[in-house]
Amino acid sequence: MNKTKAKLSVLHERKLILPAVVVVAIVTQVPFILTLVLSLFKWMVLRPDLGTKFVFFRNFIRIFSDSNFYTVLLNTFILTIASLTLCMIIGMVFALLLDRNFPGVNIVRTLIIAPFFVMDTAIAVIWKNMILEPTVGFVGYFALWTHTKPIHFLGNYPLLTIIILVVWQWTPFFFLVLLAGLQGISKDFIDVAKVDGANWFQTFIHIKIPLIIRHVEVAIMLGLIFILKVFGLIFATTSGGPGHASTNLPFFVYKTAFWAWDVGEAAALAIITIVFVLFVAMMLFKFLKRRFVEVEL
Amino acid sequence: MIRYSKKIKQSIIIIFIYLLGILYFFPILYTFLTSFKTEANVVPPSIFFIPTLESYSIVLKSKIWPYVENSVIVTTVTALLALVMGIPASYNLVFSKIKKSQNILFWFISTNLLPPVAIAIPLFLIFNYLNLLDSRVALIIVYTAISIPIVVWMTRSFLVEIPRDILEAASIDGCTKLRTFFYIILPLIKMGITSSALLVIIFTWNDFFFALNLTYVNAQTLPVYMATFMTKQGFFWAQLSAISTICMLPPLILGWISQKALVRGLTMGAVKG
Repeated sequence: MNKTKAKLSVLHERKLILPAVVVVAIVTQVPFILTLVLSLFKWMVLRPDLGTKFVFFRNFIRIFSDSNFYTVLLNTFILTIASLTLCMIIGMVFALLLDRNFPGVNIVRTLIIAPFFVMDTAIAVIWKNMILEPTVGFVGYFALWTHTKPIHFLGNYPLLTIIILVVWQWTPFFFLVLLAGLQGISKDFIDVAKVDGANWFQTFIHIKIPLIIRHVEVAIMLGLIFILKVFGLIFATTSGGPGHASTNLPFFVYKTAFWAWDVGEAAALAIITIVFVLFVAMMLFKFLKRRFVEVEL
Repeated sequence: MIRYSKKIKQSIIIIFIYLLGILYFFPILYTFLTSFKTEANVVPPSIFFIPTLESYSIVLKSKIWPYVENSVIVTTVTALLALVMGIPASYNLVFSKIKKSQNILFWFISTNLLPPVAIAIPLFLIFNYLNLLDSRVALIIVYTAISIPIVVWMTRSFLVEIPRDILEAASIDGCTKLRTFFYIILPLIKMGITSSALLVIIFTWNDFFFALNLTYVNAQTLPVYMATFMTKQGFFWAQLSAISTICMLPPLILGWISQKALVRGLTMGAVKG
């Protein structure tokens, strides 16, 4: 009999983990492998007469020679980098402003984190019909008050509109994580810096940032993963249009799969999306690691 | 004199922060206010008006109920299943000597990094084959699988902190393993369980992607209703606001209640990882 086993009153049956592993594996891993397989086939659901054919990498070749794909790739890149940067900056400003004690600070924090809990489609519908609508929305009224022409956000700047919505939804998450970091800093560090004559900005750059670098990393990594998945916001505002102007990779896969019913090509696109996600995440991780070392030195 | 001006400066900053908070919250506040107006009162926007429940009574008499029912059932069952499978799994990962438990943990987390589009097409085909498309069962299966890693990830950071002495003491006192699990371990990780359950509820309630792709009519949830309301019903701003409020309120309240636990769960899992 194992010694620790006798000492600790703990169930050691490994079966306990099995249901979780089996369910997760069947629902996420099996379909993932099937996606890999499907990406090598030509299968148009709406054209059963064509049948299902094994075409090797021809789906990928077709995608890479399609100019729309590069538009979508660029959109995804712009959307992700712009949103991530803005979320980080605004989230940090909010965190710094609210890392203090004053009456009602919790109310303000509560107000700021609210958008994070609202469903994508509700956010999309509210912003589309009540805020950005150029005649009866707030943008329209603002134009009336200021005697200017209302900006048609959705029609003229579709990608910018999506970025605004993503930033509004995800800044609270950055704010929460960064605030948790800032509140974990011992006051002594700040006091010492003050005694040494460091001004506000120097304290921020040389004391606070290095101390919360792990929180910064977590916010960026998780934020990146979520922002690369953005779908509902696009669906319920611009539907990726006009043309492909506000389509990102996940939405492009969706259009190919469930509008065009081109299963093979959609699967190939899904694989490319995964590779893209891994690539961006790895690049970012490397970059952060390097920054981290620099800051530590 | 200097102290006096410093106080004024402080007050100005605080007022600025208040305004910033209200401005950031404004779209939600505006929706909330509009939901208590009559359709005729919506334009132009006003702050002072006589509140009425008219749009709520219209909305609640409309076809929203099946969607509410689907959302409530799918969310509740998913949260329960995810907890029932997730907690024993993370318990096993922390306390039992499982080979490569780190790798299994990492595998759990990595499944959540996968973009949903990567698995949506085969899931659609499989559920179609099993005749489960457009059913709550299909949604529950998918959401449970997505939620289990969240539960494992969040409860783990609480389990790791349980002092081994307590478990030894329980063993010496003759407490059976099952009793230890239910009466000692579970109460100690109450906060982890609550926060992961709330997070799962919020994510499931809000999910749009799978609800859209795996359902047509019968099993559609509120996010899908929300997305199609404008095209189906036309432009009724007060009603739209009432529906949005109904959809937003449950996760908002849960989120606000649990914000401390949530931050702890999110950062503990990652920062100390």
